[in-house]
Amino acid sequence: MDAPDDVIHQPIRLRVMAALTACDPGDEGLDFTQLKKLTGATDGNLGAHLDHLARAGYVEVTKAFVGRRPRTTVKASAQGRAAFARHVAFLKSIIAGA
Amino acid sequence: MTVRSDEAAAMLADVDSVVARVKQSRLYRTAALIMILWGVVNLARDVLIALAPAWFGPRWFLIDAIGIIGTLALLRWVVEPGARFPLRMLAAFCLFYAFGWIWANFLGGFGPREQMVFWPTLFLFGYALAGLWFGAAFSAIGLGLTALILVAYVWSGAAFALWLAAVSGGGFILCGLWMRRA
Repeated sequence: MDAPDDVIHQPIRLRVMAALTACDPGDEGLDFTQLKKLTGATDGNLGAHLDHLARAGYVEVTKAFVGRRPRTTVKASAQGRAAFARHVAFLKSIIAGA
Repeated sequence: MTVRSDEAAAMLADVDSVVARVKQSRLYRTAALIMILWGVVNLARDVLIALAPAWFGPRWFLIDAIGIIGTLALLRWVVEPGARFPLRMLAAFCLFYAFGWIWANFLGGFGPREQMVFWPTLFLFGYALAGLWFGAAFSAIGLGLTALILVAYVWSGAAFALWLAAVSGGGFILCGLWMRRA
């Protein structure tokens, strides 16, 4: 790979993908609050980045109610995992080639 | 789009840092679940010992056995559904109780009061050590609760078993709940 993945390259989206791919594929993923804490993003900012990732098919966003509270869970798709692995390999190749 | 090597290194460091935090958070959640379970076990055991010391005193292990089975079930069916039987955790329990039994009954010859202090502090010693590798919350809980148990041993007098129930039961539950959010 000789170019970065434009979707993942943005710092907040890179952190989101790093966090989601650190979970096992069989897990339920991470909820919105956890992702906010991990990325340091605001609600609106994180929501916009998740939309971007979802449109690219890299994450699956599930909205449900736990009791009366809404809960948004985000999970990396197989396509997202592969794209993230390629992007990390690209970054490593830059360092190796320096 | 071009990426310089220092930018790539910074991004990879960022990725590593996020991955480490996710792993720590998952470890904390598992540890918190186990801690809450043992808080309930400790509370039940110490209250029963306070109410019926003659019967439950020598049979405290029956309640702990429920905790052991509960921990193995949590790991097998809740934390990682579909995973293999947590043999390593079972081995850890066997080592823990064998080591504790040798000290409490064979080498140390502890009385009932000392036994009630010894077992939870031995457990918490493991937490304090784990904190050196897996996160400061473990050490804070291990050292904090140990201090409260020692205070109970020295100053609680006749209310010892109930104080211990509050600290090693209620304390474990509260620390577990805190750890879930850490």
